[in-house]
Amino acid sequence: MTATVAFICVFVTVSILFYVFYLPGTLKLGPEKTRQTYLRERKEVVYENLRDLNFEYKAGKFPEADYQSIKTSLEDEAAAILAEIARLENAGAPTQGRKGARS
Amino acid sequence: MSFKLRRSSQVALLSFAILASMGAGDEESRFQSLGHEMMCICGCGQILLECNHVGCRYSDRMRSELVAGLDRGENDQLILQAFVQKYGTTVIAAPTRTGFNRLAWIMPFLALILGLVTSALIIRAWKERAAPAASARAGPSLTQNELDDFRRQAREETKL
Amino acid sequence: MSEIGSFSLLLALALSAYSLLAGIAALTYVGPQAERLGETARRAGIATFAAVLMAALVLVTAAFSDDFSIAYIFHHSNRDLSAPYKFATLWSGQEGSLLFWSLLLAGYGLVLRLRHKTDQRLFAYASVIIAAVQLFFLLLLNFAAHPFAVVEGQLAADGNGLNPLLQYPEMVIHPPMLYLGYVGFTVPFAFALSALIMRYPGEKWIHITRRWTMVTWGFLTIGIFLGAHWAYSVLGWGGYWGWDPVENASLMPWLTGTAFLHSVMMQEKRGMLKIWNMWLIFTTFMLCILGTLLTRSGIISSVHAFAQSSIGSWFAWFLAFTLAVCVGFFVVNKRHLESEHRLESLVSRESSFVFNNLLFVLACFTVLWGTWFPKLSEWVENTKVTVGPPFYNSVAVPVALLLLLLTAVGPLLAWRKTSLESLKRNFLWPSLGAFAVGVVMIVFGVRPWGQISYFYSFVAALLAALVIFTVLSEFVRGGRVIAGHTGQNLWLSMVQLWHRNTRRYGGYVVHFGVALVMIGILGTPFNQEAEKELGYGDKLNIGKYTLVCRSYTQDDKPNYSSEWAVIDVYQRDQLAGAPLETMYPERRFYKASQQSQTLPQIRPHFTNPLVVTDLYLVYEGINQDTGRPIIKAHLNPMVSSIWLGLLVMIFGTVIALVPNASAVRAIAPARVEAVPLGAGD
Repeated sequence: MTATVAFICVFVTVSILFYVFYLPGTLKLGPEKTRQTYLRERKEVVYENLRDLNFEYKAGKFPEADYQSIKTSLEDEAAAILAEIARLENAGAPTQGRKGARS
Repeated sequence: MSFKLRRSSQVALLSFAILASMGAGDEESRFQSLGHEMMCICGCGQILLECNHVGCRYSDRMRSELVAGLDRGENDQLILQAFVQKYGTTVIAAPTRTGFNRLAWIMPFLALILGLVTSALIIRAWKERAAPAASARAGPSLTQNELDDFRRQAREETKL
Repeated sequence: MSEIGSFSLLLALALSAYSLLAGIAALTYVGPQAERLGETARRAGIATFAAVLMAALVLVTAAFSDDFSIAYIFHHSNRDLSAPYKFATLWSGQEGSLLFWSLLLAGYGLVLRLRHKTDQRLFAYASVIIAAVQLFFLLLLNFAAHPFAVVEGQLAADGNGLNPLLQYPEMVIHPPMLYLGYVGFTVPFAFALSALIMRYPGEKWIHITRRWTMVTWGFLTIGIFLGAHWAYSVLGWGGYWGWDPVENASLMPWLTGTAFLHSVMMQEKRGMLKIWNMWLIFTTFMLCILGTLLTRSGIISSVHAFAQSSIGSWFAWFLAFTLAVCVGFFVVNKRHLESEHRLESLVSRESSFVFNNLLFVLACFTVLWGTWFPKLSEWVENTKVTVGPPFYNSVAVPVALLLLLLTAVGPLLAWRKTSLESLKRNFLWPSLGAFAVGVVMIVFGVRPWGQISYFYSFVAALLAALVIFTVLSEFVRGGRVIAGHTGQNLWLSMVQLWHRNTRRYGGYVVHFGVALVMIGILGTPFNQEAEKELGYGDKLNIGKYTLVCRSYTQDDKPNYSSEWAVIDVYQRDQLAGAPLETMYPERRFYKASQQSQTLPQIRPHFTNPLVVTDLYLVYEGINQDTGRPIIKAHLNPMVSSIWLGLLVMIFGTVIALVPNASAVRAIAPARVEAVPLGAGD
């Protein structure tokens, strides 16, 4: 009985240690977050807001004047983000680094 | 002190008036309302009239005491006082509205007022915040035309 | 057996400690080996799950093999206990439930660590925080509440058995649901704290955690409602919520969690309320810990019978430590949490969310205050007071009504600003509908001006109707737009509408469920009850029914003996002909624990076309003098609506979890590039 218990404990410990510390080859890690990734996330959010706005306008939830003013401000926001994405891409700096994202 | 005196005389007068205006038919509703103002003290944590767990040695006795009090024609205050004397202050289901216990009732409203004022201040601060200039983040090198192009692109890409 | 359990707990402790320390080292140390070190930390976190799982399996095996040499099994099981309850032994006592908590946390941690590639660095931070929480629970398990403690001396032939109150099918699933909810809030907490510590750019962490939060919230909701349903079906007092400290303990994180689910949308969409959201989720997590502290320490007296023990101080210290860490990082990094946008208008979705949050937090504060006030009064005045249902109801009812109003109004307000004209446009039909419901209710004999509680019920019914009509109008309006584009019928279009934005429309379905729950709660003032000793053929009248006792009898089973009555139910005073139905309220006596338990019988009836009323019978016991059973009957209108509402809320949560289809582009005219359905999110 005691021997079985001891065997199970040792076996489990060794397998776990092997799993935790045996790391052959290079690690497969996810991509680092860059300023561009961040901007693309922002773009998606603003786009989503714009789509929602358009949809709700079509559903008849907005008077014309409200719709136009909100749309303009959202489009301004989107344009600013698109411009910065374009600027970064033109500058040819695909990985400006994580720190750059911390505006 | 005089306020307290006046207040308690008002209460006494009021309860007397209520008592006088009440017939026997109201005894049931008084039983119900008083029975719901008190807890069963057996440890079940339930309102007196709602405690019915098997073999509760308190709730039946307490209920018959309540009926007896009503039969003697005592007013609500007197009945509750008798219960407090016998079973301790925890028999009353909610804090009284006197002394330190008043704080129990005041705090939620205080918190509401505080919350409302704070939210109002925050909302005002948001409203007064200057709108961030859209083009500032895009860098100084952009012309109005370029911005318009991007705006058009956004419009195209989010069209329904 | 117990040695393997004890060993796995020690192993798990070592692994989580390593995961924490190596994780911190990997995040702070910059060098060629940092990534490899981080990877070992992640793997140690994963292995913690294996070790804790092994400990839990050992405990469950011990329960099934009636190993009464383990004190925990001796105290919480017995030989004749049926299999599901033997399994439930794992969470029916102090030490086991802490082990179960630890297992669930390790499970959540496992999923999180397996998905680390989504955002390497953010997940590494979150993994470290989870490891820290895990370490606390494992320290507790190893040194304060050891589940594998061995009975000294002579072994008993049979165990003490499970508390009879808990021998009920829902009790097998209620605690796991509640724990999944409690423990699950660790995940959004870990992500929020990570985002604060690493000054995470953007709001993507919210996007990543929003499913976690919804799942967790869903479990907590199910747990709370199952508890209420259990109280209703087992405790036999005809009610479902007693404002007991332990019920309150589960309600508080639910309230702040619900507030969080709403206000994160502000941050996701507008980059606002960042500080508030951060603290809301910190608070929710700490309230979960506080709830455990309340339940386990015996600081506050409650009917929920957990052994009073010293582990309360462990939780108090852990709570203090968590608060210190949160405050510390907040002070250092708060500049990172500045809002990006301004509020354009007072009448907007944004401000409705602010008030929604205010009300939820106020409700939470009131519950917290009411729960602690007896203790406070004892300290200050040295007198004990009771803060019972009258206190909570007087505050909770108005707050609940205001929240219901916001539930109806909020979705109709536009983001940024809402003009008067758009208000008129959106509110006309829902408010006409609610008005019509009010008229119908008055025609059917509801008199709201009689008592304040009737008035509240009436207002709640109108608001619930308003919520339902708002939800319907949102679906119909949106469905029409899609139908206009695609030529599909309205139903298909509404399904597609939901698929475009599952969270929003799933959320609306949850609102619909909330309205049903409110309708159920507002039936309370109309409850009736009657009680009588019933011999053979004796009658008891209640409401529209006459109950006739046909017989009473008893039976003996291995685990318990029981007595029950056979009661025929007739329409009032129409005793000729067959009864409407026969009911069997029961009382059991459990042998192992020497405790009695009632099992009420509940049958819903349509008392008029709009109202479903529960006929609820309790076998209260036998009058010792006459030998006849005492039967208590309750008529509880609309309670079924609460359980129906829960099902709708669960359904809404589930469909909110489905990934969005990029439907907007899919339904667009051909000239815009089409993206296939099912992509996106």
